[in-house]
Amino acid sequence: MKKLFVISSMLFIVILFTMCNKAGVFADSGYDERLSGGIATVFDETSKSFGHQVTGLNERDGIVHGLGDGAFEKTFVSAPAPINSGLGPVFNNVSCISCHHNDGKGTPTAGFVNSSLLFRLSIPGTDVNGGPLAINGFGGQLQDVSIFGKQPEATVNISYTNEIVTYPDGATVTLRKPTYTLINAYQALPAGYLISPRLAPPVFGVGLLENIPEATILSFADENDADGDGISGRPNYVYNPYTNQTELGRFGLKANTPNLLVQVASAYNQDMGITNYVFSKESSWGQPQSDNLNDDPELPDSTINNVVFYIKTLAVPARRNVTDPDIIKGKQLFTQINCSGCHKPLVQTGINVTLRSVSNQRIQPFTDLLLHDMGDGLADNRPDFLATGKEWRTTPLWGIGLFAKTNGTPFYLHDGRARTIEEAILWHGGEAENIKQRFMQLSKTDRTSLLKFIQSL
Amino acid sequence: MKKVTIAALTILMIGLAACKKNDDPGPGNDNFETLKSTVLTDFTNIVAVPGYSALDNSAGALSTAIQNLNTDASEANLTAAKTAWKNMRGVWEKCEGYLFGPVEDNDYDPNMDTWPTDYVQMDSLLKSTNALTVNDLQNITLSLRGYHPIEYIIFGDHGNRTAASITARQKAYMVSLTTDLKTTCHALYLSWTSAPVNFAQQVVTAGIGSTVYTKKQQAYLAIVEAMIAICEEVGEGKMKEPFDARDPSIVESPYSGNSVSDFKDNIIGLQNVYLGKFGAGDGKGINDLVAVKNIALDNKLQSQITAAVNSFDNISVFYELAIISQRPQCQQTMTALATLKGTLEDELKPFIIQYIQD
Repeated sequence: MKKLFVISSMLFIVILFTMCNKAGVFADSGYDERLSGGIATVFDETSKSFGHQVTGLNERDGIVHGLGDGAFEKTFVSAPAPINSGLGPVFNNVSCISCHHNDGKGTPTAGFVNSSLLFRLSIPGTDVNGGPLAINGFGGQLQDVSIFGKQPEATVNISYTNEIVTYPDGATVTLRKPTYTLINAYQALPAGYLISPRLAPPVFGVGLLENIPEATILSFADENDADGDGISGRPNYVYNPYTNQTELGRFGLKANTPNLLVQVASAYNQDMGITNYVFSKESSWGQPQSDNLNDDPELPDSTINNVVFYIKTLAVPARRNVTDPDIIKGKQLFTQINCSGCHKPLVQTGINVTLRSVSNQRIQPFTDLLLHDMGDGLADNRPDFLATGKEWRTTPLWGIGLFAKTNGTPFYLHDGRARTIEEAILWHGGEAENIKQRFMQLSKTDRTSLLKFIQSL
Repeated sequence: MKKVTIAALTILMIGLAACKKNDDPGPGNDNFETLKSTVLTDFTNIVAVPGYSALDNSAGALSTAIQNLNTDASEANLTAAKTAWKNMRGVWEKCEGYLFGPVEDNDYDPNMDTWPTDYVQMDSLLKSTNALTVNDLQNITLSLRGYHPIEYIIFGDHGNRTAASITARQKAYMVSLTTDLKTTCHALYLSWTSAPVNFAQQVVTAGIGSTVYTKKQQAYLAIVEAMIAICEEVGEGKMKEPFDARDPSIVESPYSGNSVSDFKDNIIGLQNVYLGKFGAGDGKGINDLVAVKNIALDNKLQSQITAAVNSFDNISVFYELAIISQRPQCQQTMTALATLKGTLEDELKPFIIQYIQD
């Protein structure tokens, strides 16, 4: 009896300890590849696919998201007005949604009612905070529209010239190279001014990007290309006007913005002429056609906070057709030729105790949020904090295959010059030159597979 | 005995044959397969295109009425213009039941229906000597174009405008605004019916050559997402925002007091899409598809849509007053819309994904 007791006790202990083994990490095959935003993913491939609330918000957060959604669509009008007052006097467009069409990208024209392209302005040198040096009378961004009776700072003439790219197999693609000329300036622009075009980017998934630990982003950096793969990647450090500190840049096409609050506040201020608690002076402050009154803000604090929360809680659309053999092959090629060197397929977000949907998620943003030299072809030749005139932040590729749905006509790259994903790839240069060459050397079939993979994102 | 064995074996064989896996889709499925195409065709040819055609025609009628008012500023002509505006508005709000395709891709919606009106800029424009031709208006700010500035000029504050009080500048402005509106509506109609976009063709050929909808499922989901979106826009936006804030100044269409009709017509537009109807046209709708597989869901959707549409009739005063004096009635409608939206999201969308996979 005693023996039986000892044996069964030992057996019990062995079983108990076996159960105590440390939980392993799931194999990649244990994850659903479609979940680009982890729990913050939505299954919708229609034109509305960028505009969904993440699941799991509590009732109160759902209300805040809804208020932000409403505010995002509000059309501003000139003051004094009972609602949405304070547009301009100079501006780029009248509402968030006017540029971020269906919460996505827009149209690369400037100064029209449906335009989504704006231009940053500066002269060589840096300001006291290390940022671009604003131009007296124009500031750091061109406002190319004005309310009635005022004059736009200038208007932009956009023209394109064609450039033919030929693959080793003889196939050709026509790229269109833009030229931007400022005309009808309300006062003379200084010689040697610098301009940088920026097409409004999609706004979904940004809550996840904001929640990527700084250490993770820095771990992707390889400023001196120590691993010798030709890709360096470095962080931008930028001035945060709200905290008065220098912080890691995450948002903006040159990673010149530290967080979503500053991004949204700056858009209200610079794009629409709406003052707020982060930027309390009109974009036209100091100009002859500004009232130069410091009687604002025009935007209630709650509105800006609601809009920040709204975009923070916009879900990422799920990938499509992930089991298609062509797309699986394209995915392998994406890694094989090292597109994934910058467009990081997998990133883990940090813990966020206030917002479960963005907390500790395994996401597929296809960005490292770092700056990379993209070569002369894409250069704006206008430094922005640490970003040189050739550097751009790696664009997240999630949702890129849905641009045609959300926008009708899709446009790609920082200024919308590319009309197809293939054109966008062929514009890559600088650190991405070798990778582009590898892409060009692929067979037509392989190139198609790679493009199909990117379309599935 | 042998006969018994043979009979037993026969029964067994028949029995086993009957046991084969049922590949036959069963009753109604042939019909369902055909319906999948018919519903898209009827949505296009009986709902969407006739809707945009009616919009185009009603824009023409408004333009004529405004021209008449311009020529002869009589009260009768002002009344006719107001009626034409409301008629057109009714058609447009119904068309908003399917806000996808060119109407959003080409910004036709904000071009004609931006709210609020920019009074300050309008006053400045009217006081100026600037030309007010259609060309002059086509790139001015959206809040000075479309339905609402026209509404402001012909209705005034809650309909108190008199024909004699309309100034010459206002007349010139309203004539160009309606011509601009007509141009937009005609372009919207053409975008569905002719090259280069020919969006009707894109919907009809979904899954069989359409470049926009490579699968039928995508076209159906676009339709259902648009139904969900209009529920949300009315129930959680246009109605809820002024209701929560108790702020009449946020209410759309205040000059004509047409807000409740606008809201109701939006949901009638959704109903038209679900049932495949527009005006006298009556085709196969999504309801017919749903009924084949899940009659309970169809009954539920039809009853929730009807309940939502009818609930607007309980609001008997202008919406900007109702948010103060008829709050239970407003809340009842918003609840009905939330219920409907929930069913569309949680039951109709999964239905489409389950049963329409090609």
